[in-house]
Amino acid sequence: MLVRFWGTRGSLPVAQKAVQITGKVARCLVAADGRRFKDEAEAIAFAEANLEFADRATFGGATSCVEIEGADGAFLVCDAGSGLREFGLDAVGRCARGHPRVYHLFMSHLHWDHIMGFPFFAAAFDPEAVITIHSGHADAETALRRQQEEISFPVPFDWLRASFEFVTHAPGVPFDAAGVTVTLEAQHHSHDSYGYRFEKAGRSVVYSTDSEHKLDNMESEAAFEAFFGACDLVICDTMYSLGDTVSLKQDWGHSSNIVAVDLCHAAHAKRLALFHHEPTYSDRDIARMHAETVRYEELVRAGRPALEVICAYDGLEVTV
Amino acid sequence: MDWQSRKTGGRIIGEPKGRVDETTWEQFSAHLTGAVREARDAGLPLVIDLKGLDYMSSRGLRALTIAKREAGDAVPITLAGPNERMREILAISRYDKLFKIVDDIGSDG
Repeated sequence: MLVRFWGTRGSLPVAQKAVQITGKVARCLVAADGRRFKDEAEAIAFAEANLEFADRATFGGATSCVEIEGADGAFLVCDAGSGLREFGLDAVGRCARGHPRVYHLFMSHLHWDHIMGFPFFAAAFDPEAVITIHSGHADAETALRRQQEEISFPVPFDWLRASFEFVTHAPGVPFDAAGVTVTLEAQHHSHDSYGYRFEKAGRSVVYSTDSEHKLDNMESEAAFEAFFGACDLVICDTMYSLGDTVSLKQDWGHSSNIVAVDLCHAAHAKRLALFHHEPTYSDRDIARMHAETVRYEELVRAGRPALEVICAYDGLEVTV
Repeated sequence: MDWQSRKTGGRIIGEPKGRVDETTWEQFSAHLTGAVREARDAGLPLVIDLKGLDYMSSRGLRALTIAKREAGDAVPITLAGPNERMREILAISRYDKLFKIVDDIGSDG
């Protein structure tokens, strides 16, 4: 399987301001220290070799949307955040090159940042597209239709041209989506949320966002350890520090970087992707959080196999 | 994870030893809660002496928060003598902003 991140930001899309881009350019120029480059490719190679990611690139600002490639003749996509727009445009090109126009969307939940890309999803306007929307919520269709009502958007749901099917799934009951086995896990979040585990040919990916692991219910984490069990890649909501989640941001429905590490350790997962980044964080803030998480994993590893901690960014591709 | 507690110098001092992780946090949390109640009954502050603790993971940190809530305003809780590893964990988790941390139990004024 190949996991492709189209949107990794939590809660609200963000964009880089001019002053931030200028800062990155300036840091590149300072690092170059007067060197000359024969072309752009050589300059990019220099930047990638010599500058921190946050100083030469960006984690991006689109909200949750993650593609899992590897199904039999279908696109699998987790969440319809603002990253869905770019995925949809890219999919148009792939369909033009022969990819079947079959889409499976898996909704973690129906909050705005996870559905806001849907009105801009090109496939929804394609009369040959077949779109199945999987959810643990029985009101997924209501949420998407309501978002397209005239008070919010000029194109009503009934004007969309694709064929739609909404399927509500019970947690813990595996089902097949284009050759991939999918299982839901109920998560703690306002109006509930659901994690998804995708398995095919002995490989597994978990998508677990907008999931608060409550202080007064740590016993329930055994269920998540099982859900993450021996997973090749766990994509986790790591929006806040632990200190935030037990103080100011308690009951906001999100988790921390170090709880994600501990769950992955206990589950013997192989790789953790930090996800759903706090919208007020700069690229340097996110990079610092990533470095701290890598260090925390080392500090509490205690003889376990190393858990690789990566930081998701818009455009990242991970082979599983 | 081992735990001992004692009353000395007008404080209740809890001394966890070993590590607190997904296998030992419940034991740690039970001892902490007991120490908070002991301190409250005695009208004394509680100091958690961390010098014998290898490290604690998020479950141990969250047990500290549960204890702090149990303590309320009645029982001030201080963390004393964390090793370098624990200091890093306290900083990464931002628990250094939630708890008073001192170098050793002698320096808790």
